[in-house]
Amino acid sequence: MPNDQKYLEKIKQSIIDGDDQVSAAATREAVEAGVDPLEILNNGLMAGANVVGQRFETGQYFLPQLMLAGRALKAAMALVEPELKEKYAGEARAASDTGVVVMATVKTDIHDIGKNIVSSMLTASGFEVYDLGVDVPIKTIIAKAQEVNANIIGCSALLTTSMPFMRDLVNLLEAMGERQRFKVMVGGASVTPEFTEKIGADGTARNAVKAVQLAQRLIREQRIETGATA
Amino acid sequence: MSTQKHKIIFQPMGIRAEVEHGMAVRTAARQAGVAIDSICGEKATCGKCKVVLQRGNFPKEAITSLDQHLAPPGANEIKYWDRRQKGLIAQGEDPSAFRLSCQARVLGDVVVFVPKSSRSVQQVVRKAARERNIDVRPMLRKIYVELDPATLANPLADWERVKAALSIADPLTRGPNDLPLDIPKLSIDLPALRDLQRILRQGDWRITVTVRGGHEVVRVEPGFSDRLAGMSIDVGTTTIAGHVCDLHSGEVLATADMMNPQIGYGEDIMSRMSFAAEEDRGLEEMHRVLLDSIDRLARQAARQAGMKASEIVELVIVGNTVMHHFLLGLDTLYLSRAPYVPSIHASLDVRARDVGLSAANPGAVVHLLPVTASFVGPDNMGVLLAEAPHEQDEVWLIVDVGTNAELVLGNRERLICTSTPTGPAFEGGHIEYGMRAAEGAIESVQIDPQTLLPRVKVVGSELWSDEPGAPPARGICGSGIIEAVAELYRVGLVKPDGQFDLSRSSPNLEIDGDKVAYVLTESSLETIGRPIPITQEDVRQIQLAKAPLYVAAKYLLNRFGVERPDRILLAGGFGSHIDPEKAMLLGMIPDCPLDRVHAVGNSAGDGARIALLNRDKRGEAAQLLQRLERIELPAQPGFQDQFTLALHIPHMVDPYPNLEGRSPPRDIDPMVYRLFGDHIPGIDRPKPE
Repeated sequence: MPNDQKYLEKIKQSIIDGDDQVSAAATREAVEAGVDPLEILNNGLMAGANVVGQRFETGQYFLPQLMLAGRALKAAMALVEPELKEKYAGEARAASDTGVVVMATVKTDIHDIGKNIVSSMLTASGFEVYDLGVDVPIKTIIAKAQEVNANIIGCSALLTTSMPFMRDLVNLLEAMGERQRFKVMVGGASVTPEFTEKIGADGTARNAVKAVQLAQRLIREQRIETGATA
Repeated sequence: MSTQKHKIIFQPMGIRAEVEHGMAVRTAARQAGVAIDSICGEKATCGKCKVVLQRGNFPKEAITSLDQHLAPPGANEIKYWDRRQKGLIAQGEDPSAFRLSCQARVLGDVVVFVPKSSRSVQQVVRKAARERNIDVRPMLRKIYVELDPATLANPLADWERVKAALSIADPLTRGPNDLPLDIPKLSIDLPALRDLQRILRQGDWRITVTVRGGHEVVRVEPGFSDRLAGMSIDVGTTTIAGHVCDLHSGEVLATADMMNPQIGYGEDIMSRMSFAAEEDRGLEEMHRVLLDSIDRLARQAARQAGMKASEIVELVIVGNTVMHHFLLGLDTLYLSRAPYVPSIHASLDVRARDVGLSAANPGAVVHLLPVTASFVGPDNMGVLLAEAPHEQDEVWLIVDVGTNAELVLGNRERLICTSTPTGPAFEGGHIEYGMRAAEGAIESVQIDPQTLLPRVKVVGSELWSDEPGAPPARGICGSGIIEAVAELYRVGLVKPDGQFDLSRSSPNLEIDGDKVAYVLTESSLETIGRPIPITQEDVRQIQLAKAPLYVAAKYLLNRFGVERPDRILLAGGFGSHIDPEKAMLLGMIPDCPLDRVHAVGNSAGDGARIALLNRDKRGEAAQLLQRLERIELPAQPGFQDQFTLALHIPHMVDPYPNLEGRSPPRDIDPMVYRLFGDHIPGIDRPKPE
């Protein structure tokens, strides 16, 4: 519907501008006008987040813009989420490609600015995030993931010397027979796609917006895998 | 497993080596003594290790060098070159000959050319001894004694005979700054004892004895000898520099320096710690290469001073905590892991031979200054001894900048220190055309505020690029990047939030779709063959590097309870090359009158020399260790908000009255209200104890 498009454009722009008042107002308008909440999520909010991510990549946007975009997302999500649940009931998460994420800076590292930004972007995008903080033993991370029945474990390390603990986490999951149950995403200043592949994690992202996209992709993959095995 | 070997030749050095099948070119180069740069730690991202395959038949060497003699590039390397292919073609190069030596594995005989930009042995070493007034109060003393020869009637052992003579000679030969002998406790070091009988007879019962600390003989020489030499050494992450000194006069007899050979294992300290932890015998190897180079440095400096290295009877070695641990062969694993605890805080006296050093005298002792913390090491203690903030009424801020920055704030009342990672940007890493401060690296930048045109100066030349005869630039080093970004901000091409201002037009501003860059200079053909730009992403990297530095200073100022320091000292080789005004424009350092910001050069090395010449300073260091308060930055409340505020150039809100008239007018960026509302976060001042 062309009318929908007008609402969606406005929502998308509010995310790009990082304006949480406009994003909330525009989302409310759209919901009241009967726009499908999934449309709002994917073609409004996430479309805006995409642009923010691209601008962050080229350096046009920076951390403050990213934080503001996160807030604008969060304000809008608060309105979209109940609609999603109502319309898609138990399927809301499936429909929105979100899920439960356990986040932590691994044992031996206490640097957390990057991890915090990813946590808040994930929350803003509708994920249920359990952020365990810094210097977290891998057993604690796994125990929490089991307890909350997480879809994804996200772990971070800034220091090169702390990165081996992410490998240990993947290995421990294997040893426990729990590797298939959780997707593992890793991040931090020194983490590369090669490292990610080497330790057998499921993905890494260069910035917080990409991390959200990665998490959504992992959720989709997981759905297909579990669907296939079910 | 195949143990097949291949021949490899490195040009233009002409170094030949045999290499195991499958070994990376860079590893082979390292074994052959050819140092090839790497900033990324062999992750195929920095491109500093690029080499060019020389194809063809080289009959003189009996080598046929072919493409298939290097394993084809993997996904990472392909990704790296994809982006650069056009530039290489435009320059008339064949991109398929270019390889990353950290990735390319040798499968057959090859000849590779190592371009100048990839060689890591040409850094400008920025460490010379500074004139300083040092009280000479050496730890050692030389005493000449004449003995009655042993006879059948008086068969007293040689050592007891020497000891008796020393007790008589001590008061007669003691200078005002000499330590008195503690005769009852006086002992002799085993190597000296082994020499004693022979030397006594060789010198016809006249010998010169070197006594350390008033209680131990460490050396015996036949006849009269006056020369008492020691060496101070500063082991930096990149360079090792040392001075051989006369311990009587305090004079510097010779100065020598070299690259830290560990660079071959990784440019930054974290990758070397990873190497030590992850590789089989990695720690041992880091220990060994350091010892080898210190021995070589000692021999080289001694030769320059016209003596043998075995004349050196005392060494003071400083370095960061990781170098301290590598030197002693201590595990570095726990230094980098929370709670970041070093093996030892206290200063140490260790025999050079126990450390594993062999060039100095067998009785020589290495003194190591105290370790404050994992990331605040003996080098920092050296800086404190040299600059003496603890003797001042003024409040001084001392900043030592590198990939890790150490900061100390205080005066005679109180001293507080902290450290913060700044990332590799200040050393040219993560910067598109970044390089270390080697010949041809842009180190100074000026932008004309009217024409918005740049001119640059490169390391190794006094000429600006618009002057005839100026050499071409090959890349940009840390100080150059800082100057470039500060200048871009000063002339208004970069806004306080770090974005390029696209409403300004400059012929050097290049806009390619989403990508914006400011071109500093045409570069030389030999190396890159493209103009050297500062990209938007480069500006972001500098913002990320400078913000934690400012935040660290702010937490220290807050803890101390002052608004701004009375004086700022920029320590280290890098600090000496930063223009204080530009550092302040960028917001690397807090506000302070500009004439009170000083570069103090290599004070860590000066501190080592001070501790070498004046034993009392070693006690002073021990007291400083007790007094230094430490702040662990990331653990501080509000750190993330302060970091966000400090990303702006020079800062989102904090005033810089001393920049008035030098920076563009500063309006409050409405961004701050959008981020924080009406309550801009400050740091809660800790309650007085």
